[in-house]
Amino acid sequence: MLFGSVEEVDNNKKRSSCSKLDFLSYLRSLTMESTLEQHLDDTMKNPAVVGVLCTDQQGHNLGCRGSLSDEHGGVVSVLAKQAAALTRDPTDSPTVCLESESGNILVRSHGTITVAVHKIAS
Amino acid sequence: MGCCYSSENETPSQDPDESKPLIPHPNPVSKPPNGTDWITTSVPSARTDEQALLTSILTKTAQNIIDVSAADSVMMEQHEYMDKARQYSTKLAVLSTSLPQKKALALPSLTSQPHQVLASDLVPYSDVQQVGKIAAYAYSAISQIKVDAKEDLVVQFAIP
Repeated sequence: MLFGSVEEVDNNKKRSSCSKLDFLSYLRSLTMESTLEQHLDDTMKNPAVVGVLCTDQQGHNLGCRGSLSDEHGGVVSVLAKQAAALTRDPTDSPTVCLESESGNILVRSHGTITVAVHKIAS
Repeated sequence: MGCCYSSENETPSQDPDESKPLIPHPNPVSKPPNGTDWITTSVPSARTDEQALLTSILTKTAQNIIDVSAADSVMMEQHEYMDKARQYSTKLAVLSTSLPQKKALALPSLTSQPHQVLASDLVPYSDVQQVGKIAAYAYSAISQIKVDAKEDLVVQFAIP
């Protein structure tokens, strides 16, 4: 019961953030991280991609779109870190894939950043 | 103990410092290590220092001791104990309702039918390559971030 109400609040937040999207995208074109924001937008243009998230090593959100929100930054960065701890080769960066019937979430680190892509079966 | 030339020390040395062991060794048979008696074996000058050190250690230990025998005298009655337990549980119940429930955040759309997922095709390698490319591009995009100073951070207010 309690969880249901929490979900509702989250959905409302998403809806309100959607209405702001146009203004935000205009604002982002003026900021210095516009290259990254443009890259995230370009990634979302792929119809199979429903969410993308970019986070740093501490789980701070650097940018996100779609189904992946800034709250997921911590989980994504930790998943990549733990997976990297399994391999002995520090240059070999593993890709974590969370599979589900509705799609996969692929998590991959590159340097100091980690990217998560939510892809539905195309 | 362990000294190769210990047998040569039969003639008493003139300098007391020479014969003084670096670490005064207590006789384990006659003097227990937790007693203060063993200090008397060392030279008197070192004794006062060690005595002072021992006193400070004893003082510190005494401060850290919780006297259980004194606590036993304040015995709690059974009904008192029950009252306190009830009081605490009531307080906890009140607090737990007022505290925000921290929900563990799940990544979206996890499966309820793992057998379907396990039986499905492997993750396409093109997807793995794609996410690698996205990550590499995002990293290069982030490395391009630099401060683009357009105006002065400190401005003078025009005070007439």
